[in-house]
Amino acid sequence: MSAVSKWEKMLNLDRRWIFLAIGIASIVPFLIGFGMPISTTAEVESIFDYVNGLDKDNAIFIGFDYAPGTQAENTPMGVAVLRHAFHNNVPVFITAYQPLGHGMALGALEYVTNPAIPGFYQSVSFEEWADLREAGITDKDELIASWESDGNALPEGAKGWVFEGRDFAMLGYAPVFSLVILGMTASIENQFPQDANGNPLIEMPMLREHKSLREVDLAFTTSGSSACRSWIVYGREKIGLPVAFGVTAVMATDYYPYIQSGQIIGQMGGLRGAAEYEVLLFENGITETTDKAFTGMDVQSAAHLLIILLIVMGNIAFFAGGFHKKTALKGRG
Amino acid sequence: MYETIGIWVGAFFTLAIYSFLYKENPIYRLAEHLVVGISLGYTMAITYDITLKPRLIEPLLSGNHWILLVPAVLGILYITRFIPGIAWLSRYPIAFLMGTAMGVSFPLTLKTDVLRQLEAAMQPFYMSGMPWHEIFGNIVMIFGTLAALIYFFFSKPHKGLFFGTGSKIGIWVIMLGFGATFGFTVMGRISLLIGRIQYLLGDWLHLIE
Repeated sequence: MSAVSKWEKMLNLDRRWIFLAIGIASIVPFLIGFGMPISTTAEVESIFDYVNGLDKDNAIFIGFDYAPGTQAENTPMGVAVLRHAFHNNVPVFITAYQPLGHGMALGALEYVTNPAIPGFYQSVSFEEWADLREAGITDKDELIASWESDGNALPEGAKGWVFEGRDFAMLGYAPVFSLVILGMTASIENQFPQDANGNPLIEMPMLREHKSLREVDLAFTTSGSSACRSWIVYGREKIGLPVAFGVTAVMATDYYPYIQSGQIIGQMGGLRGAAEYEVLLFENGITETTDKAFTGMDVQSAAHLLIILLIVMGNIAFFAGGFHKKTALKGRG
Repeated sequence: MYETIGIWVGAFFTLAIYSFLYKENPIYRLAEHLVVGISLGYTMAITYDITLKPRLIEPLLSGNHWILLVPAVLGILYITRFIPGIAWLSRYPIAFLMGTAMGVSFPLTLKTDVLRQLEAAMQPFYMSGMPWHEIFGNIVMIFGTLAALIYFFFSKPHKGLFFGTGSKIGIWVIMLGFGATFGFTVMGRISLLIGRIQYLLGDWLHLIE
């Protein structure tokens, strides 16, 4: 039996050592915190600028079109845009392309309105402000003034009030969502007679002002599958609805052609895209801190450096050991 | 209390799934089967709660929406696949769905993925006052697209200056695309790991904020 060279040992390294190294490289930066800077890209800035130009007279859709498997990448995108919209008082219709996305949407909404999370928005349920609604007070500024004059005070640390039916509507999941998008080009209420909490949409001020997708200013879909394409096919191409994507990194390259063709306003690609949006929110004073995506980017950089190092070492061993001239490595079948 | 239990359960199953990295084991298999089962159960519950009940059962029980019996019967016909004697009936809802989906999506998909992309590729690559990096980008895009298309043209042998060199450039362009996709894929996989580590170190162990 011939001796195994050091190059062969390197190339036959037990993969569990690599997993361990990646694990360490992914934990240590969380504990130390390098605080590496993040520059923003044009495709994320364009989404930010577009949303920043909207106000209470506009409305947007945020589609939570993913399952828990890609939650780490997609949720920060949805959360960031939701915060931006709430800050600018832009009404948000929240939808989900698949049943598991319904839970993701609920989780994101709870996160943004959770008093334990810094910079939260105090949510007021549809029932709670029924009296004001029946009195015809639906304008956001008047609503806040009346609500606070009724003795309600904004909790400490809250960024503002968000009223269900005025600032957001949790529409949730509906089957065959592509056709639901198509149907919403004529009427949102026909597709969602009531929201996920059983509230009738017809009584919601935001629905009365935005009856169909033709009266909506943006559909932002954060997606872990090709579900996001449905918003272009049935929204953008049919009625000219402005669309923006937040997609997983794996999918990002597939959708760059849509930016170049002008079919989408912009795109957040993976955790990096979400981190860029968080930076833009922070730099523009919309949030007081960045969030989970930004924190994760130190780890991303450390893990990428390690992977680059491993690829370089693997190639050095491959060529230095002369394996490019052989058909198989020793020790392998 | 319930939140704490939930976090501990989440942490246990996260570690159970990652135990596969060491080697296959019964704890990993338990977690894997639970993911599949719970996802399906959740999907069924959500589908009933926010689709079947408010959109079909309640309107039918109210007695005013008998037209809903048509999609209801079509939907039930799907189940006939499990009864060999009348399994052929399931072809009707499938045919209806396929026909509708094709009819609705075909023209819009053609517009989205072919016509708009062609339109975007037919832009002038040079105009007065255009910055040099934009001109360079346009040239790369046009010649890259042409080279990749030549590579996928199989009716002529890939020989000579046009087809031979063109297809060689084409394969390089395609490889660059694959490289970018692979880089994004690595980033995506690490992102998923980051999400779980944030959960373990933050929500579970409270070592980070």
